[in-house]
Amino acid sequence: MQAEPSQVADDDLLRAISQGDESALAALYDRYRLILFSLILRILHDRQEAEDVLQEAFLQVWRRAADFDQARGRAFTWLVTIARSRALDRLRMLSSRSRLVDPEAEPRADEFSDTGAEIVKSEQGEIVRRALRELPEEQRRPLLLAYFEGLTQAEIAERLGDPLGTVKTRMRSGLSKLRELLRDRSRDLV
Amino acid sequence: MEHAEYQELLALEAVDALDGRDAQMMRAHLESCPSCRGELAELRDAAALLAHAAPPAAPGNEVRERIMRDIQSQSQPAPIQAQNVVPFSQALSAAWPNVLRLAAALAFVALLLGIVMLWRRDAASRREIAELARQLNRQQRELQLERDNVAKQTEALALLNSPDARKIALAGTPTAQTARAMFVYDEKSRHGMLMIEGLPPTAPDKAYEVWFIPKGRSPMPGRTFTVDATGRAMISDNLPREAGDSMVVAITLEPKSGSAVPTMPIYLASPAS
Repeated sequence: MQAEPSQVADDDLLRAISQGDESALAALYDRYRLILFSLILRILHDRQEAEDVLQEAFLQVWRRAADFDQARGRAFTWLVTIARSRALDRLRMLSSRSRLVDPEAEPRADEFSDTGAEIVKSEQGEIVRRALRELPEEQRRPLLLAYFEGLTQAEIAERLGDPLGTVKTRMRSGLSKLRELLRDRSRDLV
Repeated sequence: MEHAEYQELLALEAVDALDGRDAQMMRAHLESCPSCRGELAELRDAAALLAHAAPPAAPGNEVRERIMRDIQSQSQPAPIQAQNVVPFSQALSAAWPNVLRLAAALAFVALLLGIVMLWRRDAASRREIAELARQLNRQQRELQLERDNVAKQTEALALLNSPDARKIALAGTPTAQTARAMFVYDEKSRHGMLMIEGLPPTAPDKAYEVWFIPKGRSPMPGRTFTVDATGRAMISDNLPREAGDSMVVAITLEPKSGSAVPTMPIYLASPAS
């Protein structure tokens, strides 16, 4: 790599990784380890498991970087998708093996609320949390259940005790609104 | 499903919340629709930002070392040095007399014939296995339908016997005068079942949709469903928490994937209280 890693675009780092450039993978890891680890830990609630999954996710990036196609989406989205899929796979495996996750358990309080002084808030996280706070609770909750717990529309309807059609409508409105709220700011987010 | 109906479901696909038939049909549609693929990519970009809503945390320093060690062990091995390898054909031509070459050629032809015969027998077996698998799938589907029906009937019976059961009768409107339905629900759990009869069959691209209309509020969509050959259906759904005692339950005909607001004439409705 010729330029400083911090100045190299994600797309270029992924291209270099696909050609076997180990330093490019190290640079990508340094750039996204915090956000990806936070996401995985939020899904699994277990540090050891989350570190394993983070490692698996970056090994997948190493092997599959050639599959990334910038015409089909942003590199950040591609990375997040890999990390989230891996974490949800692990969650399902743990859940079916030892029932660590109780599907009837009350979902945890939303972390983006202002409670919890121990949480060090990043600037990007604050922008998203602010946008999420602008969504009505009835739209925000099903979105978070789908995203962080991997529930399907029918499972969300069951969990929340709402009609299926209503859940669909609320998720659609919620994500569309979130997209509008974040559209102008999203360039600063990654 | 029409293109517009798929567009309605893209947000759910973006967070992988579609299931069953919706998910299968969406995947097939995306293969052939660049406009929906573009829209989905944008929605996925928005959904990916939800990762920022997770509480910030840092992995241990050793994770980076483990990753770098792993990828180094997965690197391609160095190519074998070519000058140390004797060409195979050259080695053979020097060592083998002609008779051995003939025997080898005959053995090769016999092997080829054997492979062709095995391949043909294998193809016939594969066809038989595929047919058996299809039959098995069909039987499993039928069995599953039977099981679903029994489960629904058991659920309806349990509801009807519950001391907290409430009933709402729905009558056919002029659009479907012979239709009638009963919505039975548990007042505590808000879970209920709707038993419908006398509705006409729907076109393949249409479905009936249930609506819960709390007094003074907009209709809230429930499940979509179709009726069997006798015009009957039995479905379960949850009563919205917003619905108090005064609520209208209604059924309309909508596009197969359902609508967010009712668009077609009402087929069945309970009286307004």
